[in-house]
Amino acid sequence: MALIVNPDELARKRIFLVLATPGNIRQRNIDLIREVSDLGYHTVVITTNFPYSILSKLYGEQGIDLTKVSFIDAVTRNSLGSAEEIPGIVRFINNPANLTDMGIAVTEILKERSGQKVCILFDSISTLLIYLSSPNISKFIHFVTNKLRLMDISGIFLATEKGLDPMLMNQLTTFVDTVIDTG
Amino acid sequence: MGKTMTNRDEPGCIEAGILENALVMIAVMEKSGTILAWNQAAETITGYSKEEVIGKTTIWKKLYPKKEYRDSVTKQIATILTTKKYFENFETIITTRSGASRIILWNTKESTHASGSIVVTVGQDITRLRELDAFRDSVIENANVLIAVMESEGKIAVWNKAAEEITGYSRAEAVGSRDIWKQLYPDSEYRRTLTRQITEIISTKSYFANFETRIRTQTGETRVISWNTRQIGGDMQYAIAIGRDITEQKKAEEALLAYMTEMAMRIQQPVGIVRDNLLDIAQLIRDGKLSSDEIAMLLDAQVRNAAQIASNVQEFQKAILDKNREIPEAYRKFLEG
Repeated sequence: MALIVNPDELARKRIFLVLATPGNIRQRNIDLIREVSDLGYHTVVITTNFPYSILSKLYGEQGIDLTKVSFIDAVTRNSLGSAEEIPGIVRFINNPANLTDMGIAVTEILKERSGQKVCILFDSISTLLIYLSSPNISKFIHFVTNKLRLMDISGIFLATEKGLDPMLMNQLTTFVDTVIDTG
Repeated sequence: MGKTMTNRDEPGCIEAGILENALVMIAVMEKSGTILAWNQAAETITGYSKEEVIGKTTIWKKLYPKKEYRDSVTKQIATILTTKKYFENFETIITTRSGASRIILWNTKESTHASGSIVVTVGQDITRLRELDAFRDSVIENANVLIAVMESEGKIAVWNKAAEEITGYSRAEAVGSRDIWKQLYPDSEYRRTLTRQITEIISTKSYFANFETRIRTQTGETRVISWNTRQIGGDMQYAIAIGRDITEQKKAEEALLAYMTEMAMRIQQPVGIVRDNLLDIAQLIRDGKLSSDEIAMLLDAQVRNAAQIASNVQEFQKAILDKNREIPEAYRKFLEG
């Protein structure tokens, strides 16, 4: 099966925007984790869509090595109200709209993984639209991509195709290096 | 002095009858101002009877009790009489016996009679007419719509206060010429288009209704005016143009349209995400991959998403309302839910 992201580009710490149809986006998430894990990267999944517990279960069923994945989960506490963090595996933030906490979590987790081959997977920008205006999403993605470049880390942002308004899409394409439409 | 005229005296019974029963005030007097005849209408209008008036000059002081005004009238009459022996359509305000004011339009004629020169003075009570004029002027002046009355070829005869306020051009700048139209429509191409459209409308009917144009005010601002016109005057020599400033209404309509468009975007995408998530969850359930706790958590997350969408819509409605206070009441109620 053809790879979604080019390993050479990933090695050059490029940043990707991967688009998928709504029906395929969860499978693209799993495909990307598998690809990136197989390339020896530790993937930090920032999830705004599915809780970490379910994602890790689905990854496990797909044969993904869960020791190579950790999570920033913006769903569980928003649904359940509370959840205990598991160091090295999952950090929770209360709400997908809490970009400050999300930014802190990204910064801290990247520090913890300093020196490792790390890739960030953000799933998904589309869900953020429920909680944030397009300009705020744009600012946050700009902040994260800058952070990734400063720390020399590659990143993948997932979004549903045609799920972003044209102005936000234009801005995102200027923040990332490559846009991949997987259908 | 000393001469009086009755029905039985010269210039004859018929003339005296006409004088007595005329619907206008008629006073016959000597050049000195001494009243020789005072008809019934004069009695009715002024409240002073023949007996009080005839043979005296005192009536004029009674009709013009304020010295200053009386002197002014006397001076005006004297000025007129330096060039001609009569005056036409000379307007004064008299005070009646009851103290009421009446506006009288005077016309005089000097006549040489066997017993000397007399002056026949005809006074028409135009108080009601003037009141109607004043009422009409007041309606025009105080209407909150632009009113312009045009003579032939668009020359402005009337330009009301709202016209001044909306366009920024004063009455003095507008009345007496048709240049105002060039100032309101400085773009010659747009002016030509409008002229063509108006000509087309006028060729089929003599008026136009709700005809929208964009004027440029004196301050350079663009305002949208909805015009209605009618031909007026006895021989339709005038046209009245009534222009309603619908700029704010247009803005509100545009804001509403923008709101609808934005709402479609703000609802469509997030609702689509929730729908796709639910489809995904349904598939996972069908595949038997989720426990009941996990299903509950996933559904709960979608409930949170739906609640957030509802909150977004409410916030957006409030923002639109705050932004545009000119949104029509019916729309406002709709937005407020």
